[in-house]
Amino acid sequence: MTNVSGPDRESRADDTALVARIAVRDEFAFREAIGAHAAPLHRIAYRMTGDAHEAEDIAQEAMLRLWDHAPKLEARRGALNLGAWLTRVAMNLALDRLRVRKRMSEAEVPERADEEALADAALEASEAEQAARALVQTLPERQRAAIVLTYYEKLPNADAARVLDMKLKAFESLLHRARAALREAFAAGEGGEIGRGGAA
Amino acid sequence: MSNAENDTRPITPDEPLGQVLSGYAVPQLPPDFADRVVSATNDRAARLPTSRPATSRWRTVRRVGTGVLVAGALGTAAAATGVLEDLGVDLPSPQQVWSRITGNDPAPDPASTSAPAANVAPAPSGSAPVVIEGSIDTTEELEEAFRRVDEVRSTRSENRRGRVDRRIDEFIENRRAQGLPAPTPEEEQQFRERLGEFRERREDRVEGRLEERREDLRERLESGEKLTREDLLLNERGEAGERPMRRRVQRWRDMSPEQRQQRIERLRERREQQLDRQGEGLADESADALVDAPNAPIDQPE
Repeated sequence: MTNVSGPDRESRADDTALVARIAVRDEFAFREAIGAHAAPLHRIAYRMTGDAHEAEDIAQEAMLRLWDHAPKLEARRGALNLGAWLTRVAMNLALDRLRVRKRMSEAEVPERADEEALADAALEASEAEQAARALVQTLPERQRAAIVLTYYEKLPNADAARVLDMKLKAFESLLHRARAALREAFAAGEGGEIGRGGAA
Repeated sequence: MSNAENDTRPITPDEPLGQVLSGYAVPQLPPDFADRVVSATNDRAARLPTSRPATSRWRTVRRVGTGVLVAGALGTAAAATGVLEDLGVDLPSPQQVWSRITGNDPAPDPASTSAPAANVAPAPSGSAPVVIEGSIDTTEELEEAFRRVDEVRSTRSENRRGRVDRRIDEFIENRRAQGLPAPTPEEEQQFRERLGEFRERREDRVEGRLEERREDLRERLESGEKLTREDLLLNERGEAGERPMRRRVQRWRDMSPEQRQQRIERLRERREQQLDRQGEGLADESADALVDAPNAPIDQPE
């Protein structure tokens, strides 16, 4: 898992240098950035959307945004935390797609999204995977984002708050609600389909 | 721990919920993902030019301020080093100008190389020197001020001419020294004659304008108005060359028809007196007093 808040000054300087190279359209530098950041972006996108194809699209779009914005990022003053920037982009893309999906659907997002997106994956996924996915997808978008960032990506609360463009207090409140909702959903599903996956 | 607190505590991988969540595996990215992304860059729009950074108002003000200061510093430096003098631009201080006009010697400036007020030639022999104190409220004082101004002007004018002549000589000499085509003595003579004619025409033109303004001052003095330093400076320096005329027009409009007639008569008489004086041999002095340039400064001679 990637900790976007952790990089020391040296790695941030590396990020700045990398972005500078991308700004001058250095393909090798761009591939380097993809190698370093695409996987965590894909993880976040997948856990947010529950759709492998959509997650790939989001990761790709986030990297392409880096390609587009590299000159502007290079012009910024101070060291750049590329991982944090990309995480924020990917999270925003994921939230946008979830909102679009919600508008397109008459039903609530989680149920409809789960049914649609996981249709292919469900065939191959283990019972535990299905249970976990279903549990996470029961959360509203932003609560899900809080759990994905802090539990799965191990981000400190402050960094996760920045990704979601929230004040720390507000984020902590959101995280508390997300945990409570998750526990509630888990308790409700215990003994049922959700609980059987691996919560024994 | 209450139920609420229990619900909001961090989820650990050891607890049942954590075990369920840990089962949420993520599929691997395809091996050609990077190639796909790189190839997708070809479809992206071309790189935009760097946008112009927004300039804050304070930054603009700072730049303007800096520009003004730099311009001021350069101007001061140019004046201090005599560059402006070489270019024929004279920058007398108002105090110097006033002291020259009134004949009152202000605080002496040891650094100044210009002639002090005491060096002003006295009034023409045969009459007691006129001392101007405070504002100008008599005809004698006004004429004395004009005389002193003219004296300074003629000196400056001569200096200017000498400088121009010297430059012409240097220019011709340099061209000859470099083996470049130079004007023949006949051409040079012709050129200097044309220059002389130009100077005369210019002086005639300036003289007419200046006399008109001085007439305005005389009228004001006659009407009982005391002339201040500013009145004279503005008038002589021509900084407000149009203002006296505007004031005259306004005063003229304010007059009753009888007053206007009276004023015309007085003006006619004065003109005749002037012509008479010139005819009686006083023309030399008067003519000198008329030489001036409306925009030329009137401080000490060089």
